[in-house]
Parts: sequence; C-alpha cells; structure tokens
Amino acid sequence: MTTQRAEAAPGPAIDIRFGQVGLIQVLIWTTDPGAILDELTGRVATAPKFFQRTAVSLDLGPLGREPSVQEMQGVLDAVRRAGMCPVGLASGAAVAQGLSEPLDLPLLPPFREFHPPAEAGARARRETPRPQPQPEDGTLAQLHPHPVRSGQRVYARGRDLVVTAMVGAGAELIADGCVHVYGALRGRAVAGARGETGARVFCQDFHAELVSIAGVFRVFETLPPELAGKPVQAWLDGDALRFERLGA
Amino acid sequence: MTEIIVVTSGKGGVGKTTTSASMACGLARRGKRVAVIDFDIGLRNLDLIMGCERRVVYDFVNVINGDCTLKQALIKDKRLETLHVLAASQTRDKDALTEDGVRRVLDELIADAFDYIICDSPAGIEKGAHLAMYFADRAVVVVNPEISSVRDSDRILGLLASKTHRSANGNGGVKEHLLLTRYNPRRVANGEMLSVEDVKEILGLDVIGVVPESPDVLAASNAGVPVILSDTSDAAAAYQDAVARLLGEELPLRFLDEPKRGFFARMFGG
Ligand SMILES: Nc1ncnc2c1ncn2[C@@H]1O[C@H](COP(=O)(O)OP(=O)(O)O)[C@@H](O)[C@H]1O
Ligand SMILES: [Mg+2]
Repeated sequence: MTTQRAEAAPGPAIDIRFGQVGLIQVLIWTTDPGAILDELTGRVATAPKFFQRTAVSLDLGPLGREPSVQEMQGVLDAVRRAGMCPVGLASGAAVAQGLSEPLDLPLLPPFREFHPPAEAGARARRETPRPQPQPEDGTLAQLHPHPVRSGQRVYARGRDLVVTAMVGAGAELIADGCVHVYGALRGRAVAGARGETGARVFCQDFHAELVSIAGVFRVFETLPPELAGKPVQAWLDGDALRFERLGA
Repeated sequence: MTEIIVVTSGKGGVGKTTTSASMACGLARRGKRVAVIDFDIGLRNLDLIMGCERRVVYDFVNVINGDCTLKQALIKDKRLETLHVLAASQTRDKDALTEDGVRRVLDELIADAFDYIICDSPAGIEKGAHLAMYFADRAVVVVNPEISSVRDSDRILGLLASKTHRSANGNGGVKEHLLLTRYNPRRVANGEMLSVEDVKEILGLDVIGVVPESPDVLAASNAGVPVILSDTSDAAAAYQDAVARLLGEELPLRFLDEPKRGFFARMFGG
C-alpha cells in the first residue's frame, strides 16, 4: 500500500535519477533546409504517430565539416517544421563541439556512433567492431512469460529478451541483445539497443509496428507485407535491415 | 466472500455503464447481494440507467468525506431487493476520490457481506479509472469490435496486470474477461468491424459475452430499466448469458450471426 507523499514528512523538491532513454538520431548529410524538410516530411508522413513530437538528436558527423550557426538554425527550423523536437547534438561528431553553446543544445552521447567516412560525403559502411554486451548477472536471456500490452515497455539490459506471450500494438520490447517473441508481435521490437549490430529479432507471428536493430529501423508501412502473420527473423546486413520467413 | 469486479475499457462510450447496470441486475436476480458503484465523478450516469436518479441524496464522495454513512448513501433498487446503487458525485473536483477513501467504502461493503461489488469505471487511464480497478479481483473489459477500442483495452489490460492491489501484492493478479458489445454481425461480415475471433486473438483473452448492437439498449436506458430486464431483447439474453458465464456456467456464444430475415424483409429491407 502506498502512502501519499504529500501526507508524509516533507521530502525534497526534486529527485535526480540516471535514466536511459532511447533517442532517435537524425543524421545530417546536408544543411539545405529544403532538402531536409522534403525528406523528413516524407518519412514523418509514413509513421506520423511515431515521429510527431518525437525528441531527436542531430548527428552532424556525415557533414564532415563544422556548419555555421546560421546554417544550423536553418537545419533546426526544418527539423522542427517536420514535427520533430531536436533536443541535442550527438557528441560523437567532433564537428558539433563548437555549436552546442550558440545553438543552446546539449551534446548527447551517441546511441549509434557515426564514424566519418574516408572520403567526405561518401556513405561508407561502418566497420568498427563493437564491444559485446555482457550479461550482468550471468543469465543469457530475460524471460517475460506474460503478454506485453499497449503502452508497456520491457527492457532486457545487456542480454536477450524472450517473450512467451503476445505483444500488443503500441507495446515496446527493447534488448541489448536479440528479441525473441513466441507469440504475435504487433508492437515494436528494438534489438541491439546499445549498438550490437549482430542482434536479431525473431517472432512467431509477425505484425510488428517497428523493427530496429542497432539503431537501423523500419516502420510497418515499409515492412514486407507478405510476411504478415508468418514466423519471421530480422537482421542487419551492413546498413540495411533484412527480413526473412523462418523455416521456409 | 465478496468479489470486487471492475467494468472498464479505456475508451469512453463503449458500454461500460450499460454493462455494469445489467450485470449487477443479473447477479441480483440470481439472489446475490450486489452493490454497484459509479466511479465517474462529475459525469454521474449509472443512477440514470438504473432509474434511481431522483432518489440520490448522498453520493460516493459524501461517504468518503464523512458527510453521511454508507447506509444512507446506498440506494436500494425498487425491483430487486438485493441490489444497491452508490451514485457518483457531481463535484468537479477529480481529487475527491482517494485510494484510502475508496478502500474504506469497499471494506465496509465487504464487512456487510455483499457477494459482489461492481465498479463502473470512467473512461481514460487517469485517477478515476485507476481507483475503480485498483482493488478489483476480476475485471470485465468492455470492448467494441473496432481497432481503437481494442487498442485501448490492451492498454487497460496492461494496467490491470501491473497497477492493481492484486498485482502489487502478488495475489495471482486480477482475473480478466472480455465482453464485446455493440456487435453488429452484418458489419462484421462486411469487414467493417472486427469479428469475435479477431478480438480474442489480438487481446489473447477469452470472451465472457457478446452483446449485439440493439436499439433496445437506448430505449431501456431512457426508461431507466437496465436492458437485461427487457426480457424479449437479444441484448438482454446476451447479458444473461454473460452473467451465467461469470458464475462459472459454460454456454455457447449466441447472436454472432445476422438474424435470419423473412422473404419480404429481404425484398424490402436495406
Ligand atoms: N449493445 C448496444 N447496442 C446499442 N447501443 C448501445 C449498446 N451498448 C451501449 N450502447 C449505447 O452506447 C452509449 C454509451 O454507453 P455507456 O454504457 O454509457 O458507455 P460508457 O459507460 O462506456 O461510456 C449509450 O448511448 C448506450 O445506449
Ligand atoms: Mg459510463
């Protein structure tokens, strides 16, 4: 039974907690606001619920140079007009360091680092090996034997997540390792949440709203419709997310 | 043993109050002592459907605030001797309901040896809905056969599994049942509405009743007579079946198919 805090002895005015939040990264390849807005509005329109008012961090790494404050104001304006809320700059990009203060945006540790390609502008593949996430208490997987309902989120830190019941639309599964669902997956599955590119998503009855591996994601409008209702696995092949029917 | 049943849904206007009133009547008709409580503070509604709105003197919040005794606030139904109604308050103060206040009222009903306490939940997932479900042993999740209602019910099922007294104390959780209302077999056949099977599969739960869309429901609520008491109505029969299943009887589902219409009805009907 909970006591109402207000009735108990006066507590502190605030509490500070260390929390981990998944944050969408917008990789900036150009500072042309028109081009950004065109592309973003297209993507936001494919998944309006997912992107509208979503906090995003801007990764300037792909630009390969430090843009001017004025250029960046144009970029921020375009991103905001597309409906997203920029909350910071990815700190992995060296080019962002000097912009944090003038733009009044904090530098945020990267979710998935971008390493500038050898030739500026070329969309080279990232090859740096990543540390393997280590299970923290010796168990290899976190088992969740109950349905995961809309609005609920289950996170398996440093390991796989195994769900042996259904996952509703609007529910979210997150694992630093793989995500396995022995049931219908109608919600979101995020594997390799800390950047493990070898992580996979497996499910028995595929109706996912979103699948993400190591930060590369696809929303349901762009998921292969012929796989609906089938047992499916998803994995990352370079920078592309691949899907395949299991046991076919 | 008193059993506390919450009738909930997430979405508004799906038929929670209609269901609470009919289930309460159905249980009382079988001789159970029943109290049905309106948790929709500010939008009091249950008393109208039960036809006792003019006899409301004190309400749920009055009891919690100690303005009156529970006995004074409980309205005895004129038709069924073992049925009692506790009306919602018209106050605009949403904080009038407190966990402690609700617990005290429920404890008093339990001490008074009621068999069933039915909690008619408000829409949403805010405080009123939370308190309506918090002490429940069972939940009847009312759902219309459409995507938005099913999604909201899924959300509510998540809260039932995590944010109730039973889940917090590891008492085996709240027993969950689905009740489909406003079921229209023709629109299901046309693909405009989800079927019973679709809803069962999406939510992964068994169905305790399917109540057809019926004009009798509105007529009954205008007359202040819970629809379960309109004996010739399909909706009444469906609610009677649901009550029987709640009490553990096994009955096949009815009213899943379009009623067979006569030749002339088919010729001239829409
Ligand atoms: N089976 C049904 N057929 C037709 N109308 C219904 C049915 N069930 C409920 N309704 C109507 O739907 C509306 C909302 O019902 P109500 O029980 O007040 O819902 P809630 O308490 O969930 O807001 C009312 O107008 C009611 O008459
Ligand atoms: Mg109501």
